[in-house]
Amino acid sequence: MGDDRIAWFCAYAPVELLLAAGLEPVRYFGDPSRIDDADALLHPAICPYVRACLAQAMQGGGPHHAVFVNSCDGMRRLYDAWKELFPEDFVFLLDLPRNAGKAGERVLAGEYRQLLAALRTFRGREITRDDLAAACREREELRRSYLRLAGEASGAARLRLAQSFQSPPGSAEGGGAAACAHPVAKAGREIPVLLTGNLLNPAGMVSLLEKAGARVVWADLCNGDRAFAASTLAEGESVEEIIGGLAAAYLERPPCARMLDAERRCRILAENARQAGASAVVYASLKFCDSYLYDFPRTRERLRREGIPVLRLESDYADGHAGQVLTRVEAFLEMIS
Amino acid sequence: MELLEQIKERYLDRLSPATFRSRLFWKTVEGLALSPLNRPHWKADRVSLAYFIRATRDAYLRRAPVVWCNLLVPSELVLGTGCIPFYPEMAAAVVASAGLAPRFIDHAAEEEFPSDACSYHRCMLGCAMEGFLPEPDLLLAVNYPCDSAPLSFGFASDLYGAPQFVLDVPLPGREDGMNLLAGQMAEAARTMAGLCGRTEREMMEGLSEAVELSNRALGHLRRVEEMRKRDDCTLDGDEAMGNVSVLAGCMGSPAGEEFYRLLAEELRERGSRGDSSLRIMWMHLKPWYSQAIFHLLREHGARLVCEEYTHATWEAMDPRDPLGSLAAKVGGHFLVGPVERRASHLVRLAEEYRVDGAIHYNHWGCRQSCGGAPLVKKALQRVGVPTLIIDGDCVDDREYQEGQVSTRLEAFLESLR
Repeated sequence: MGDDRIAWFCAYAPVELLLAAGLEPVRYFGDPSRIDDADALLHPAICPYVRACLAQAMQGGGPHHAVFVNSCDGMRRLYDAWKELFPEDFVFLLDLPRNAGKAGERVLAGEYRQLLAALRTFRGREITRDDLAAACREREELRRSYLRLAGEASGAARLRLAQSFQSPPGSAEGGGAAACAHPVAKAGREIPVLLTGNLLNPAGMVSLLEKAGARVVWADLCNGDRAFAASTLAEGESVEEIIGGLAAAYLERPPCARMLDAERRCRILAENARQAGASAVVYASLKFCDSYLYDFPRTRERLRREGIPVLRLESDYADGHAGQVLTRVEAFLEMIS
Repeated sequence: MELLEQIKERYLDRLSPATFRSRLFWKTVEGLALSPLNRPHWKADRVSLAYFIRATRDAYLRRAPVVWCNLLVPSELVLGTGCIPFYPEMAAAVVASAGLAPRFIDHAAEEEFPSDACSYHRCMLGCAMEGFLPEPDLLLAVNYPCDSAPLSFGFASDLYGAPQFVLDVPLPGREDGMNLLAGQMAEAARTMAGLCGRTEREMMEGLSEAVELSNRALGHLRRVEEMRKRDDCTLDGDEAMGNVSVLAGCMGSPAGEEFYRLLAEELRERGSRGDSSLRIMWMHLKPWYSQAIFHLLREHGARLVCEEYTHATWEAMDPRDPLGSLAAKVGGHFLVGPVERRASHLVRLAEEYRVDGAIHYNHWGCRQSCGGAPLVKKALQRVGVPTLIIDGDCVDDREYQEGQVSTRLEAFLESLR
């Protein structure tokens, strides 16, 4: 029997199309403890999440059919390495425009068309309008369930919950509400913060923030709340209409730092911070992520203009050396409290 | 004495942003460039130097709207609309050659651009923040070869209050991909023509003319490439690598055509070198601040016979359809899309230039090149080309470990004998 599971990595992956093809989409979060295993195929100065995913795949744990989004150099290099490792599997690279708006939507809808065609060939069956509509509804229900369950959850528990909603319940990554049951020792007082960045390890940087006394009330991360913040529910009378709607919806979601419209991203960040009652923004990203490396100085300036204090942190995904970071976070929280 | 040495000696200590906006400064630089003291190794270099000095002067003196471009923005697109293309990545290489990069990189670090990012872009941003670069009227980036340009241009766009335009090049083989790209290019071209006050018709005429000039340069470049494949070619890769600026920034100008015409002519005239050196291919770019690595190659009887970025990667274009042709030129570049395209390009070069070995210079912070290096190495090894990967930095000399590089390079060259 073939493997019905399919791996995805980037928050821009259109999971609805994979569901519509009757596949079980599993998001990889990688193995942060085995990052160096990826050295043979990926340079050490590449995103540690990307390297952790390759390391996990090399151990043979997860599915090897995979859909990659051409969202950054790191992801494209992961696609290259994956193709080299798993030449017999279904491995697809989906483009993602930096420009939103109608032109971007046309490009992205074209990409969805390509992916659907490849999935039809791979699965040996048609993917109908009804399949797509059902998949969109399923994703929307899941998104709403997450937001309901996340409720007052914060920090590592919130991030674990978000991760569990990005893979099916039976998988190692999935786990639904059970994911909340990982209490972190907290400081006596808690200061609400909004966490923004790319993709963080719940057991690493996020737990550390809590230990220092921060309460992460909104995790604007690729593996956190960002994927659930806006609906991607698309409706229509035909496959074409639905993929058009889906392309528009994905480009309308709160963007990651690689997208062109930085002003919109900062506006959303500031709004989210205010709505969530955050006293500050913690800007934490993985090393070697160019999107966030170049974005930070101007986002910091924009947020400061809004009167929002900002702390910059960097993670290597494993986050083994936390002492210095803890001190910095404590000092920052002391300053803003 | 070389021109650069003269400039270093006379001016470097006194440089300020205002210096670059002074007519007197440019008059002096042009005078030095034309003086008999400046004896470039190749006649063609005099043409490219004069072109870049003139274009850079005009950019600083704001004689036409200035468009910042990254490496894959075709200069024909900008020149054809009447704007001045300015390539800050090349400016960073010039700054590095002058030994000034650390100062600007440190300035960027103060603004929290950390050392994990590409030093070309950190250097460029440091220069921009200190006011050393010509102010852009528009920033135009192609989303390849790397993420750095669209991202660092975003910061610069805020810094200067100038709009940014990103061309989303579709993945190779996508249905309608080239039409979509041509549409984006048309929009960018109209914006640039608007800055120059040109009508649509004038814009299209300008683009057609630029494409025709580019085609003529391409013809000469093909001749250069054929001559470089000979055993006795006298143009080595460490010199030829500087021509990446011509390939990116001069195409579509009369200087581009003249440069390659002169180079082809001189290669033919110079004739035989007649040695039996090891033939090496160089991948990615070189450290601009030091020639040590190339001296070492020569000492060990090795020559760079070809390099990754200085070859024609497109076919002659159609002046009646300049935008469609330019879309094909950019969209067909080997750095667009998966690494297998880059690897195929390098395997082809290795075979055509009959190399004995290849060196991949891993520029720190370059995810597109370092990231793909292990797979490129595998592809080359599959066709029997031994490949060495060296970690270093093209712009920041503090990241260049000369001893380590020498040891690894010597061992590699020994193994090729």
